Amino acid sequence: MMSNMNMKSEGTINKKARSMGSIQWLFQAATGAFIIFFLGVHLYVAHINGGSPVELFDTVVGNLSNPWWLAFFLVFLWIVTYHGLNGLKGIIYETGISTRGRKGVSWAIMGVYIVSIIYGTVLSLVVAQMTIP
Amino acid sequence: MPGGNTGIIGWFNFLHKGIGFFAYAMHRISGIVIVLYLYLHFFVLSNLLRGGVTFNSLITSFTYGPYDIFIVMDILLSLVIFYHGANGIRLMLNEAGLGLKHHKLLFFVFESVAMILMLLFLYYAWQVLLSGAGV
Repeated sequence: MMSNMNMKSEGTINKKARSMGSIQWLFQAATGAFIIFFLGVHLYVAHINGGSPVELFDTVVGNLSNPWWLAFFLVFLWIVTYHGLNGLKGIIYETGISTRGRKGVSWAIMGVYIVSIIYGTVLSLVVAQMTIP
Repeated sequence: MPGGNTGIIGWFNFLHKGIGFFAYAMHRISGIVIVLYLYLHFFVLSNLLRGGVTFNSLITSFTYGPYDIFIVMDILLSLVIFYHGANGIRLMLNEAGLGLKHHKLLFFVFESVAMILMLLFLYYAWQVLLSGAGV
């Protein structure tokens, strides 16, 4: 149960009980703020102003062939993956694993992050070079 | 959970624990769902490499059938994402010392605004789906 010792307010974990360090929490909050903007644009572009889903390939390739949209989606990819995996790490830490376990999780999460953003970046760059049939 | 004795399974036991616990547990559950979706999204987008015909037919099957059950999952995903975003903003404000005295009210206000925005988004996205239904 959450007690007053653990909660600054209900739903807000205090610094001692927090699963992340202060810097990581700051990054988590900052990336969260960016994601609200990025995701808003992404949802609008992909689901409202993106044309028919039947021709989605043309829309995606058309967007990514624009360097500004490509940069936008790459930054979105790096930030959203960081936010998601860092949050996951925090959740795993909250299970009360040992210090050694935390180090292992931290390295594993970092590895998954690097592989994910390399894969996503290469995929985006390759798709940006594709031609619309 | 910090200082908890119920573990992750305890997140699902909302009864008699108050709205703060609900917000806390749902933020983590929704976060895990979103991370899982992120990798599913990567997987689906990887099909772009298979070319326009294959990718469009895949998306069409998710949208207009035979696998249009995915639309229900997309709606549930919207719920999770808008919930998580609104609660995240509230947490940021609380961490900055803002709204601590009225955190329950803030929770309801932020989530209400998020749900209205979500319904607007779903309405316009649905119109786009309908416009392509006859293609």
